[in-house]
This record gives sequence, structure tokens and C-alpha cells, in this order.
Amino acid sequence: MSAPSRQRTPNPHLGAYYGIITSAFISLAIVLALFEQLGWSEGATARGMILLPLALYLLIAGGSRTLDPEDFFVSGRRVPQVYNALVLAGITVGGVGFFAYTGAVFFLGFDALAIGLGWTCGLLLAGVLFVPYLRKAGAYTLPAFLGQRFRSRETRMTASVLQVVPTALLLAAEIKIAAVVASIFLPLSFWLAVLLVAMFVGATGILGGMRSLTWAGSAQFIAGAVGLAVPLIVVAVLFTNLPAPQFTYAEMFGSLQGAETAAGMAPVTPGEIAHAVPGNAPMQAAKPFLQPFGAINESGFVALFLCFALGTAALPSLLVRSGVTRSVADQRRSTAWALALVALFVITAPSLAVFAKVLMFRDMALVPTAGLPAWLAELSGRQLVQASDLNGDGAIGASELLIVRDGVALALPMLAKLPFVLTALMASAGLAIALAAAGSHLFTLAASLADDVYGALDRRPLALPRLMAAWAAIGACALAVAIFLLIAEVDALHVAVTAFAFAAATFFPVLLLALWWPRCTMWGALAGMGTGFVILFLAVALGGAADTAVSTSVASLVAVILGLGAGVGASLYGPAPAASDIAYYEELRRPEGEAIFDQAQQRAAAASARETDD
Amino acid sequence: MTTQMPETEHAVRDRHQLRTLAVAITTLSAVLCAVIGTIVYALSLNRLWFLHYPLGFYLLAQGLLIFAVVVGFWYVRVQERIDHTRSVTEEIG
Repeated sequence: MSAPSRQRTPNPHLGAYYGIITSAFISLAIVLALFEQLGWSEGATARGMILLPLALYLLIAGGSRTLDPEDFFVSGRRVPQVYNALVLAGITVGGVGFFAYTGAVFFLGFDALAIGLGWTCGLLLAGVLFVPYLRKAGAYTLPAFLGQRFRSRETRMTASVLQVVPTALLLAAEIKIAAVVASIFLPLSFWLAVLLVAMFVGATGILGGMRSLTWAGSAQFIAGAVGLAVPLIVVAVLFTNLPAPQFTYAEMFGSLQGAETAAGMAPVTPGEIAHAVPGNAPMQAAKPFLQPFGAINESGFVALFLCFALGTAALPSLLVRSGVTRSVADQRRSTAWALALVALFVITAPSLAVFAKVLMFRDMALVPTAGLPAWLAELSGRQLVQASDLNGDGAIGASELLIVRDGVALALPMLAKLPFVLTALMASAGLAIALAAAGSHLFTLAASLADDVYGALDRRPLALPRLMAAWAAIGACALAVAIFLLIAEVDALHVAVTAFAFAAATFFPVLLLALWWPRCTMWGALAGMGTGFVILFLAVALGGAADTAVSTSVASLVAVILGLGAGVGASLYGPAPAASDIAYYEELRRPEGEAIFDQAQQRAAAASARETDD
Repeated sequence: MTTQMPETEHAVRDRHQLRTLAVAITTLSAVLCAVIGTIVYALSLNRLWFLHYPLGFYLLAQGLLIFAVVVGFWYVRVQERIDHTRSVTEEIG
């Protein structure tokens, strides 16, 4: 019955555009490789490899600028499923996954797999439990959905305030990672890099909101995937003769165990090494790669896995993209594609870590006879590694080699003695993924402040004030996070663990109840959100749960269970849901038809037109 | 006829919701049970080798991820069929 409010046909030339963008990125790497052989300096190569793609992303964002609220907040609801999947995967992995997760796998080996497994299963949880129904609701933000589901402005405002914590923490982590990479390869101080990254991310969001983030984010994900794949495939071909690192790195296990033993690594037990999940500062690799449950025991592994799974499933930055495709079925398929892309990254990360570890410790074992390897000076110059012969035995063991966790991915091409352009390519790739994720976190934060807080105060049905509020919110949030990073020492991985824990504790119970239990009421939603958030906040702020990633994860699981209990209890013992709430719930589960929000907009527009005619 | 229509609609809706719930529980429990089971038995599984990998490591690093992706696409296909059945039944009704 209801005709679509606008033509929801995607641009038929998108494939050609992104083919050209991918070719341009690869061509740039090839041209810079040629120039490097002709004598270009490393600095010039790095500047070309990093700055030219940034200009391209900004150009795409500028080309996607819009003043239409539907385009600004949900990208016109016409994003093809695979392009949305690219951005979803970029947000899930982010710079934290690209640099910090690969580094964590380098240090912890087996024990770090809980994080990647959690991301993948979290996307599956989101795709099955939440995403199709949020697409049907069609709200612009997650708090707006909760407000519409329970016909409650209080629920909407509360959710908007509570989502600031996980989203802002992830935004800070991504901007930190991007700024660190930029300051390593560009002639910038870290502080200037933070400001420039925040300005870049803010500009991308302000130009076209979700629309520019979608199209720039797709290009950024492609650049990230190409930039990760090319150096890794080259290394795999050099050492295993096959261009499939994911399936051939097991051949290196023998060399890896030999190199670890030569470096003095012995099996460890949980609690023996200082940090179960490695921190920001340079540290020694103490745990053998294949040893299971050496740094984290089985229950800690399960807790970390569940924390990341539930946190990913309920992450506002991912769920805010639930309204951008053409239909419920498209959104479901899009999440499945994102799941496949994230799984591919998670399968790839251990191969990077294994190659880096073998190359690093094999060369260190040769120090007494062959002298210090050439890469040591290069990595030390970029402050990614510190080595010193503390015991004066002429060798450098594992305890004398301190490695920066987030620099492992960048170190791989140097360890393999590849041309510098591949290091710059890896940096450009990681930076692109970090910027894509940071843009989405920033937009989620700002769109909620503009749509849920300002929109609730200013009820005029005018587009421009809402857009202006969103622009102001994007600018203010970017500035606030930049200032926070300038005054606070942030460890991206630990901040990400805390952010996923808050997302799980605050939003998983309420979304599960709101979408799968018709009896859930506004009081249940408020109780579920509030209990989960408060329990985790108290555990982190007062109870010392923030000390380790495992204790944060355990606290978040306790908060999820208590939040669910509070939501069920408050719904059962409070007033019964109104008939309109039940009707909304039933409509939510009808797979066909326009989004509920769009239906309401059309009815309002028709009523307004009738009033004008009268 | 007018009194029977809502009941028919409710029956279609309830069948759709029941099947949706069943496929969601099947999908998630299959993956979560596989993950938890692998973690619990990882030490034992690591005594076996698969494609040069210790089996416990292989499952957590690759096998379960591939399984989750396969299950994810299977879920999409089954759920689309369930949704299609509801749409067709409602149109006929």
C-alpha cells in the first residue's frame, strides 16, 4: 500500500567507481615503489602513500555532501548490502583491530584469539537478534528506536546519555591509533597529529553525515584490506611459497618454537606475566605463541570472548547503520557479509603475528654471530622496538627486547626486508581503517546528541536546525575527544575492552528485551539500561575491575545478567505495556513494508498537506 | 468471515514468530555451544593436529570463524524463506 517516499535505487555505477578507487590505490603503491627505487626518500614515500589517499577520502566525502536529513542520518536508505558490509566490518575491526589486536596476538598467541572470536560471534548475534528489527523500525539512532518502542522521551534521553561512554571511548581509541601512525610517518608531533585526525574525521562527518561516512568508509575499508593483504601475501610467498598466509603460517610453527626457545621463552601460567592483555608501553614477549591459557585461564578466555561478543552485538556505532539499506532482507544479508569480512580479518591476524615473531626472534638468535639485524636500527628509530644487552652476554634474549604492541603490523615489512613502500602501505591501510571507524563513532555520538537531545527539545519539523545541531555536535565531540587525548594517557586496547564492556552491560539487556519480549515496558527498559550501566560503572570506577581486561569482562557479564534481571522484574511488577506498545512490537516483526519511522513521517507529511489545503 | 480473519492473521503471525524464534535459537546455540565446547576441550584437542595446526588452536583461530560465517549465511537463507512464507500467506489470506 505505502509507496516508498523516494526512489531507493542505488547508483548503478558504484562498482565502476570503487573499481577505479581500488585501482588508483594500487597504482599509487606501484608508482611510489618505482620512485623509491629511483631514490625517493622514505619520508617522501610515506607522505605520498598516506596523504594522497587521505585527500581521496576527503574528496569522496565532499562529493557525498548533503542537506537532506534522510541522506544525512541514514544515507537515503539505499546503500547496497556489500558496501554497508564494508563499513560495518571497518567499524568492528577498526584501527584497534588492525594494530592493537595483531599486537596482542603477537604477545599472547593462543590467548588473544578470544577477542577476534568475540567480534565475529558478536556480529552474528547482532545479525540474528537485533539488526533486522532495527531496520524495520527505521529510527535514525539507537536511543531514538528505544524512545519509539516505548513511546518514552525519558528512555530516549537516558539511552542517548548512556551511549556516550562506549562510543566516546572507542572514538578516543581510534583517534589515538590514527594519530600515533600519522606521527610515526609524517613530520608531525603526536599532539598535532591528534588535532589533525580529529579535524579530518569531523570534516568527513560534517560534509554528509552517514552518507559521506558510507562512501568514504567503503573506500577506506578497501584501502585497508589491500594494504594489509599485499605485504602479508608477499611475506607468505617469500617464506611458504604460497600466497595464502592464513593457511600456510602453520608451516612456520617449527621455526617459531625454535626461535622462541632460543630467545628464552618458557611456558607461563596465568598471573605470571605482568599484564594478561598487553599494554601500551614497550614490553617483552614472554609467552610462547601456541601455549593455550598461559596468560589468561579458561574462564577468563570465556569472559573476554563473551564481553566482546555481547559488546559488538549491542555496539551503538554498528547498530546505527541498521537503517541504511533498502529492506530488512538487505540489512540481514549485509550483516552476514560483514561477518564474513571480519572473520577473514580475524583469520588473517595470527598469520601476521606468526611471521613477525619468527622473523624477529630468528634474527635475534643470530646476533652473537651475525651482529645486530638492520631492521633493529630502523624499528628503534621509529620507537617501535627497544633492545639492549642487559646481561652482557653478547646476545639479546626475549627479556631484553621490548616491543610496542601497536607497532607489530608496521614492523612486519621491515622485518622481512621488503621495500619501504610496503611499510608505508601498511600504515596507510591501518590509518584508513582507523579513520573509518573513528568517523562512525563520532557520527553516532553526534547524531544522538542532535537527534535525541536537541530534537527532543526543538520539535519544529525543519531540516536545517537539526542538521546544524548535528554539525555543531560533530565539531564539539571531535574537539572534546582531541582535548581528552591531549591530557589523558589512553591505551587503545584497554579502552576498547572497557567500551565493549559498557556497550554489552548497558544495551544488550534492553535490546534483547525490547525486540524479543512484548511484555517489556518502559520501566523495564530504564531498569535494564540503568542497572547494567551502574553496576559496571561502580565495578570499574570503585571496584578495581578496570585493572585488567579479564576483570572488566567479568564485571560486564555480571552487569548484563543483573540488567536482564532488572528489566524483566521491572516489566513484570510495573504497569502492563500499553496496547500501542504491543502494536509497535508486532509491526516490528512484520518483515514486509516500509520502515515504521518512514510510515510515521509519511502520515505526518500527509496530515500537514491536508491542513495546508484546508 | 469477519470474525475468522483476525484469527487467521494471528495464526500466520504466531507461526512466523515461533519459527523465527526457533531458527534464532538454533543458529546462536550452535555457534555458542561450539565455541564454549572448544574452549573447554582446547587442551585435549591440541593433542590432535589438523593441517599442521594443533586442533584446538585451529578451531579457535579459523574453524569456528568459518563455521560462524556458514551458519550466518544459512540463517539468512532460512529466515528469508520464513519471511517469504508469511508474506505469501498474508497475501492469499
